Amino acid sequence: MQKINKSFGANRVLREVDFSLATGEICALLGENGAGKSTLMNILGGVLPADGGTISLDGKPVNFATPVDSLDAGIGFIHQELNLINDLTIYENMFITHLPQKGILLDKALMQSKTRQLFEKMNLDLDPNTMVRDLDASYKQIVEISRALMQDASIIIMDEPTTSLTDPEIQRVFAMMRTLKEQGVGIIFISHKLGEVMEICDRYTVLRDGNMVAQGLVKDTNPKALAEYMVGHEIHTESLKREQEYGEEKLRLENLSDGKHFHDISLSVRAGEVLGVTGLLGDGRSELFQTVFGAMGRHYTGQVYLDGKKIHFSNTHQALDAGLAYLPRNRKENAILKDMSILDNGSIVYLPKLVRGLFIDEKKQQEAFRVQQEELRIKMGDQYDLITSLSGGNQQKVVLAKWVMSSPKVLILDNPSQGVDVGAKEEIYGIIHRLAESGVAVVVLSSEAQEVIRVCDSSLVMYHGRIVGRVCGEDMNEKHIMYLATGGNQTEKEGVK
Amino acid sequence: MNKNATLNKQETLSRFRESWSKNSILSTLFALVVMVLIQAVVQGINAGSFTGMFGKMWMAWLNILRNNAYAGVIALGMCFAIISGGIDLSVGSTLCAIGAALLYMLDEVNGPLAAMGITGPLTYIIAIVAALAMGALMGGLNGALVAYGKLPPFIATLGTMKIFRSVTQQLTQTFNPAVPAGFKAIASTRIGRQIILPIIYWVIMVIIMHIIFKKTAFGRQTIAVGSNEKAAKLSGINVAKVKMKIYALGGMMCAIGAIIYIARIGSMDFANAGSGYEMDAIAAVVVGGTSMAGGKGSLVGAFIGMLIIGVMNNILNTVGVPTFLCEAVKGLIIIFAVLLQKKDNN
Repeated sequence: MQKINKSFGANRVLREVDFSLATGEICALLGENGAGKSTLMNILGGVLPADGGTISLDGKPVNFATPVDSLDAGIGFIHQELNLINDLTIYENMFITHLPQKGILLDKALMQSKTRQLFEKMNLDLDPNTMVRDLDASYKQIVEISRALMQDASIIIMDEPTTSLTDPEIQRVFAMMRTLKEQGVGIIFISHKLGEVMEICDRYTVLRDGNMVAQGLVKDTNPKALAEYMVGHEIHTESLKREQEYGEEKLRLENLSDGKHFHDISLSVRAGEVLGVTGLLGDGRSELFQTVFGAMGRHYTGQVYLDGKKIHFSNTHQALDAGLAYLPRNRKENAILKDMSILDNGSIVYLPKLVRGLFIDEKKQQEAFRVQQEELRIKMGDQYDLITSLSGGNQQKVVLAKWVMSSPKVLILDNPSQGVDVGAKEEIYGIIHRLAESGVAVVVLSSEAQEVIRVCDSSLVMYHGRIVGRVCGEDMNEKHIMYLATGGNQTEKEGVK
Repeated sequence: MNKNATLNKQETLSRFRESWSKNSILSTLFALVVMVLIQAVVQGINAGSFTGMFGKMWMAWLNILRNNAYAGVIALGMCFAIISGGIDLSVGSTLCAIGAALLYMLDEVNGPLAAMGITGPLTYIIAIVAALAMGALMGGLNGALVAYGKLPPFIATLGTMKIFRSVTQQLTQTFNPAVPAGFKAIASTRIGRQIILPIIYWVIMVIIMHIIFKKTAFGRQTIAVGSNEKAAKLSGINVAKVKMKIYALGGMMCAIGAIIYIARIGSMDFANAGSGYEMDAIAAVVVGGTSMAGGKGSLVGAFIGMLIIGVMNNILNTVGVPTFLCEAVKGLIIIFAVLLQKKDNN
C-alpha cells in the first residue's frame, strides 16, 4: 500500500501512509485509538475506498471496491467482533459463504473432510462437528482464521484478536499464527498489547494521527520505544506514586461465596484507598463485585458491610442509593446506551436526582455533566450527539462520568481502561487517583498486571474464585502477580485466604 | 454571484439531508404530506370540482381523525412498549374488557352505582377513575409477567390478550345495558356542528405522552431499557419498575380509548370490539419511525403514522378498491415504511 490518503469530511484520517507485508511475515500495526489503523485496514479489506494511493498485491496493482473483491484476492479480515454463527457446527461455519451441495442436499461429507484436512495441516485438534457455541473465544478465533484459509487467503488481518482472550487462549492463537507463518501466510496484527507484539511479530508499523511515524524490525526495539512512538511522548510503566492517606473503612466483605464463581472472599477497602483485584480472565472477580452491587441477585452466603452497616442488595438501584458504584467491563455490551446522546449517557445514573417536580431539570443536567466533562477532559462534539460518535477512550470517560456524578462512597471499576489507548489510559489513572484523594474508596478490577501496578496502592490476586495473595510495595510486580494469578503458590500452600 | 447562489443551494441541500437522516419525524411528516396531496387529487376527481374537493377533504379528515382516535390513543402506549424493546398485544382485549366494565358501572337500571343510589355526573367520574385504575391494573399484570416473570413480552401479552377477551365474553353473555346520555356527551357533544371531542382527547393525549417521553426521567429510562437493558440495569436503573410503569401506562391508554369508545358509540360488541387494534397500533408506531428493536422512537411519529394509515384507507375507499384488498395495501405500507427506515440507518 503506497501513499494512501483518506478523509472523512474535513477530517484527514490517513496522510500518505505506506504499508507493506511480505509472505510468511507477521507485521504489527500499532497506534492509539483514532490513529487510522482501522481505516487503513478497511481500505485493504475493501470496506472503504481510498481517496488516493495505490495497493499492489504480488507486484500487481489491485482495486478493491467491496469486501468480496478483497477476499477473492486472498485477503482475510478477522474483525474484532467475530462473524461466526453460534448455532451451527464448525464445518458449516467454514463453508457458510458457499455451501457445497450434492443435488438439493448439503454435501456434509465433503465439508467435514475438507475441514478435517485443513485442521490437520494446521496441527489443530478440533472436531469439525462441534457446535461453535461450545468453543471458547480462542477456538472461535481459530475457526474464523481457518475459514479465511479455506477461502485461500494469503494475507490475514487480525484486528485486536486477543482483547477478550485469557493467557492460555492467547498462546493457542499465537501457535496457530506461527504455523501460518511457516506456511507462507502474511499476517497483519493489530493490537494495543505491546508485550504480545514483542512476542509474536517480526516487523512493526506505527501510525499516529494518520501518519506513519515508525517502521522497523521488532527485534531492534522495545515496548517502551513502541509506546512512545504511539503516544508521541515518553510514557511510564512504573507505579504512580501518591500520598496514601486512608480514612475509615468503607466496604468490607466477609467470607463471601456464591458456590460457583467465588469462594470465601474477605476483603476491606478504606476511604482514599485504591485496591486492585487482579487475576486471569474467569477468576470470578467480576461476578464477585457484580454480586456486591446487586446485579446477580441474592444468591450468596457471607456478609457485606458498607460503612460498618450490614447490607444485602438484590437490585442495582439499592446499591446505587447506598453509595456503591460499579463500572462494568465490556463497555459496548454493559455500559453504552447506543441510541442515547452523550449527555444522557453521562447522566443516566444521576437522572432521578435531576428531576424537579415531574420533569428533568435540563439546565441542571447539562450543568452537572459539564462539570464532569471538564473534570474528566472528555473530548466531544455536541452534547446531543450520539454516544457512538465518540472514540473508545472518550466513551469510557462518559460512562465513568455517570458514576462519578453520583458521588459514590465506593467506586468499583471493572477493566476501566479496556479498549482505550495509552494516552486516555493515563488520564483515567489520574482520574482514579483524584477520586481516591477526594475520599472515595476505589476498587480496580483488571487482568492487566501493569495496570494494577501503575494505579493501585495494593492488590489482591484471585485464582479460580479464591483470593490467593495480597501484593503491595516491592511485591507488586508483574512476575509475582503472574505467579499468584496462575495458581503458583497453590501447590505450595493450601487454603490461603 | 451565480456561483455563490449554487454554493448556498448545495449547503442548504446538504443541511436538509442531514436533518432528514437525523430526524425521522421529518421523513414521516413528508410521507404524510405526499399522501394528503394524493388524497386531494383523488377527492378532487371524485368531487368533480375544486371547491367540492375541499368539502370532501374536510369530511374525510374528520372521519379519519375520529375513527382512529381509540386505536390512536392506544398506539401511544404501544409506542412506549416498543421503544423499551417490548410489545403489548393485549391492548384490544384490554379495551374491550374495560369497555364492558364501564357499561356495567354506568348501567342506570342494574348497575352497582345505581344500586347504591349514586346517579348523574358522579357516576361518570367514579366510572372513569375505576376504568383508569382497571387499565393500570391490567397493564400492570402484563408488566409483572414481563418484568418479574421474565416472560418475553410477545408471549405474556399474547396470553393476556386471550384471557382478557374470553373472560369478558363469558361474563357479558346476557349483558346489554344502555349508556346514559350524559356520559355519551363526553365524546359526542357537537362543537360547531361536528363531533370533534374524540379528536381533541387524542391530540391532548399525544401532547401529554410526548411530554412524558421527552421530559421525565421515566422517558429517558424507557429509552435506556430499550437501547441496552443490561447497561440500564448496571446503571442502577430499576428495570423491572420501569417495565411495570410502561405496561401500566399502556393499560391506562386502553382505558382512555375505552372511555372515548363507549362515550362515542354507546355500546360494545364484546366479541369484536378492539380486536385488531393491537395491529393497527403497532403499524402506526412502526410507520411513525419507531424501531422494533427498541431504543428509539417518537410519540408524535406514532400519531402521524396513524394518520398516514387513515389517509391511505380513505384514498383506497374513494378510488373504490375492494374492502378486502385494503388490508393488503396496509400491509404493504408497513413493509415499505420499515424498508425505508432500514435505508435511513445505513
